[in-house]
Amino acid sequence: MQVDIGPITRIEGHLNVKTTVENGVVTDARCEGEMFRGFEIFLRGRDPLDSQQITQRICGVCPYAHAIASSTAQENAYRLQVPPNGRILHNLIQGANHLYDYLLHFYQLCALDYVDITAVLEYTGKDRELSKVRDWVKAEIDSGKRYPAAPFLPRLSGKYLDNRDANLGAIKNYLEAMKMEQKANQAAAIFGGKFPHATAIFPGGCTQEARVDLIVPYQSLIREVRDFIHHKYIPDVLAVAGAFPEYWDIGRSQGGFLSYGHLPLGPEPDSRRLLAPGVMFDGQVEAVDFNQIRQDVGNAKYSSPSNLRVRDAAITPQPNKRDAYSWIMAPRYAGQVVEVGPAARVMVDYAQGHNPEIKKLVDRFAGQAGIQPTQLNSVLGRHLSRAILAAVLADFLLAESQRLQPGQPTMASIDPPASAEGFGATEASRGALLHYIRIENYKIAKYECVVPTTWNASPRDDQGQPGAMESALIGTRVNNPEEQIESKRIVRSFDPCLACAVH
Amino acid sequence: MFDRRKFLKLAAALAAAFGTKGLSQPARAALNDIDPRTVPKLLYLQGLSCTGCSISLLQADSPSPLSMITDYSQLVFHTDLSATSGAQAMELINSFIDGQAGDYVLAIEGAIPAGMPEACIIDHKPFADYLERAARTMSGAVAIGSCACDGGIPAAEGNPTGAVGLAEFYRNRNINQPVINIRGCPVHPDWVWHTITHLVLVGNPNLVNGSPRVFFERRLHELCPRYYDFQEEIFAEKLGDRGCLFRLGCLGPITFADCPTRWWNGGRTWCVDTNAPCIGCASPKFARQKDLPFYRLSEGKGRNS
Repeated sequence: MQVDIGPITRIEGHLNVKTTVENGVVTDARCEGEMFRGFEIFLRGRDPLDSQQITQRICGVCPYAHAIASSTAQENAYRLQVPPNGRILHNLIQGANHLYDYLLHFYQLCALDYVDITAVLEYTGKDRELSKVRDWVKAEIDSGKRYPAAPFLPRLSGKYLDNRDANLGAIKNYLEAMKMEQKANQAAAIFGGKFPHATAIFPGGCTQEARVDLIVPYQSLIREVRDFIHHKYIPDVLAVAGAFPEYWDIGRSQGGFLSYGHLPLGPEPDSRRLLAPGVMFDGQVEAVDFNQIRQDVGNAKYSSPSNLRVRDAAITPQPNKRDAYSWIMAPRYAGQVVEVGPAARVMVDYAQGHNPEIKKLVDRFAGQAGIQPTQLNSVLGRHLSRAILAAVLADFLLAESQRLQPGQPTMASIDPPASAEGFGATEASRGALLHYIRIENYKIAKYECVVPTTWNASPRDDQGQPGAMESALIGTRVNNPEEQIESKRIVRSFDPCLACAVH
Repeated sequence: MFDRRKFLKLAAALAAAFGTKGLSQPARAALNDIDPRTVPKLLYLQGLSCTGCSISLLQADSPSPLSMITDYSQLVFHTDLSATSGAQAMELINSFIDGQAGDYVLAIEGAIPAGMPEACIIDHKPFADYLERAARTMSGAVAIGSCACDGGIPAAEGNPTGAVGLAEFYRNRNINQPVINIRGCPVHPDWVWHTITHLVLVGNPNLVNGSPRVFFERRLHELCPRYYDFQEEIFAEKLGDRGCLFRLGCLGPITFADCPTRWWNGGRTWCVDTNAPCIGCASPKFARQKDLPFYRLSEGKGRNS
């Protein structure tokens, strides 16, 4: 039987997945990206400096990653020498944004797939917040409304956590996480100007100064978030893993892993990074080569040529293209499917023995859970990878903020040339993000973004290979084929962002 | 525009969704008088959006998340928060739009691809179809953010989808439905907030360009703490400098918004305080023209001529 499981909620944007289910097993899955805006078309002919601002609007969840990728591409094109403070501020802004994004993903986007919200009805303690939630859920359910306790109900059928205390703790942390997300974003905005959509990030650095009266509140906010990560987030991830251990083996993508590496440790373009870049096939890591990336559009709704390199990209929408089923293109690395995102970041770094903290945490948690590091390629593996990255990032940001030199420059002077081109690669919280800019006669002649969810939620390529998320869905056993909570847990573990994938 | 009854319903629905902490005591009292069981529901749908406005609304000092989901929540559907999905979600959405689930206010984030309906699909149907059907059953609509108000970034010059804002979409289809426009890319959570306060305490707010005058009547430039620098001709020469940012391209002089007195992210920051020129994100023509760049770094070189 064929079942569409969209619209999929608690992700960003418009995604449907067309599934075929036979004997309770998903035998085929097609990810249908259902939105198109045309950024790469309307960027043409604009002032190059506009691109940092406009590409942030690709995504209001992770705008800073686009700002950094665009700025890096322009730094590359303009041959800018970024002062150390400028690079540190980019890191402080982007890193804080990652912390918020990991918490948002686990609590607001995923928790309702595992936590039994109705458990709060049994609460008998004195916590004021939980008592209020209990009274509210009870009143809503008793009200005779058609849809009581929305947006938490109705929900899909399936197995939820059955431990009362674990449920209650998770509900309380769901609420507290929102406050922590605000704090992480406030920290980022101190230097970014505002969130979402920062105005202070530029190629060459940041317009905000490195002042002690800004550094201290930044550190204070990050410390609070760090405490939450260690005392609430990580234990909650492990509690879900303990209750749903089968998800270490569910949702495995078929292919390689790609990470551009994250957070440069110096101002130079080739600086060592906190997390190492690399592309990994069969456990072997190689250096990343942008020339190996090509985008297929055989199954995507474009009439432009297929299998183009990034710098040759073309985009002509064809909404009613025969047999095409998604607005998302199909990028491939050396012709192969790769997964990007937190698990890819952790595995690519771990395989190279690059960051000792990553190694320590992977070994510790994998040991506790009784899994192999290769099982990070799974639903739970993606969740655990985010938690590990959050812990490593929070420590790094505190140390990095200490390296700012108050009073020293934070910006290089910008003087864009008449013609140039550049690549900018970074890691959005959802994975590898690449921007490419080509400037002719002082205007943008070509702009191309190859975005995390474009990799993960891509349709079949021209060779018929399913994308990473499609491959992770195929073979999944589902209890209720109409609803497929299992498939949705897989999709959400990738944290798909359709606004990014189809920009 | 809305009659008073509709205003109160809208106010209550928005209060329900976003909480009440931070309001004046009379405003809180007024909102608390509204029986949550009879509050109309808020149906929040997204078109060509980036979810930035939803994320911004989560950054408000208020709501406390608790008051949002207990005391006041009537947020019947929001794609980023709802537990439901798939067919179950569509049944919920359709039951409101078809008028079977009671009164509701439509909240829209994102633009509408009027020239390419296939560019935004929900459950195999164009987003535009839902807006046309909802016009027959909703109490009113609020457009949240620059995309929903005027098309925003998706409507930038050269856009291939024919993106427009909600009011224009309805106007072009001869649909007479009131829309309150709350501009900004993203919207400031307070702008949504205090609109409600005014609706509850006073009734119809004065509107300018369809938006509450109280936030959008004065040019950012007039309110800017660097207005003194402008008068004294203390100009920033390059990005990162202090001083008036006008010569670097600041669009404060043509942007109507109260960022300079309100600030963002818990009152910690705003663009010009970080020495960054205003890019006019609350302007109806935000990002529209290719020949009006955000920054003027060096006059006379080919790029800005």
